[in-house]
Amino acid sequence: MEEYHSGDEVAFNPDEASNAVKECIEGVIGGVDYNQNKVNQWTASIVEHSLTQLVKQGKPFKYIVNCAVMQKSGAGLHTANSCYWDTTTDGSCTVRWENRTMYCVVSVFAVAVAL
Amino acid sequence: SVLDKLTESELFTVAVEGAIGGNAYQHSRVNQWTNNVVEQCLSQLSKLGKPFKYIVTCIIMQKNGAGLQTACSCFWDNTTDGSCTVRWENKSMYCIVSVFGLAI
Repeated sequence: MEEYHSGDEVAFNPDEASNAVKECIEGVIGGVDYNQNKVNQWTASIVEHSLTQLVKQGKPFKYIVNCAVMQKSGAGLHTANSCYWDTTTDGSCTVRWENRTMYCVVSVFAVAVAL
Repeated sequence: SVLDKLTESELFTVAVEGAIGGNAYQHSRVNQWTNNVVEQCLSQLSKLGKPFKYIVTCIIMQKNGAGLQTACSCFWDNTTDGSCTVRWENKSMYCIVSVFGLAI
């Protein structure tokens, strides 16, 4: 368990978060086809598991995890985000995943907590 | 203090209307539209002068029968932090804007 000394600033590590999220996505929807009846459960599971993994890392951050799952049918989808925060300590990462029948986009935002 | 959902919701609906109201989905412009929506919302929020950090996300999807599901989960201070989501649509597209405010 890492210790934080007052005065140290820890920046968000997007690669670590990205890997944790990818594993969560694979675990929930890897190998299944888009199913309207289940997609509600899937998005909820993905955000909950991702959040749990991030919190387990034990870093001094508040987190927001956002997940969108879209059926592949030729529609255009575009997402954007904008953040007003402390660029030295806060950060985000976005993971894009797809299989034959659906796209999944997960965004993680981490905002430093003042210690 | 928690975000005042009613006022903020109206604020973002107006921002979306201003950025994309009256337009039909166009692949070549949607990039600019999503940027405009998030920038307008964020500038309205920072004008409020409250002690918050903000995250604004915007999704625009063409209407062609595809299913779209979104979810989000937050690890924060329930007494001070909050969020607001606005869903907007016209004949050719859906727009979903989510705003998260975290107290400093």
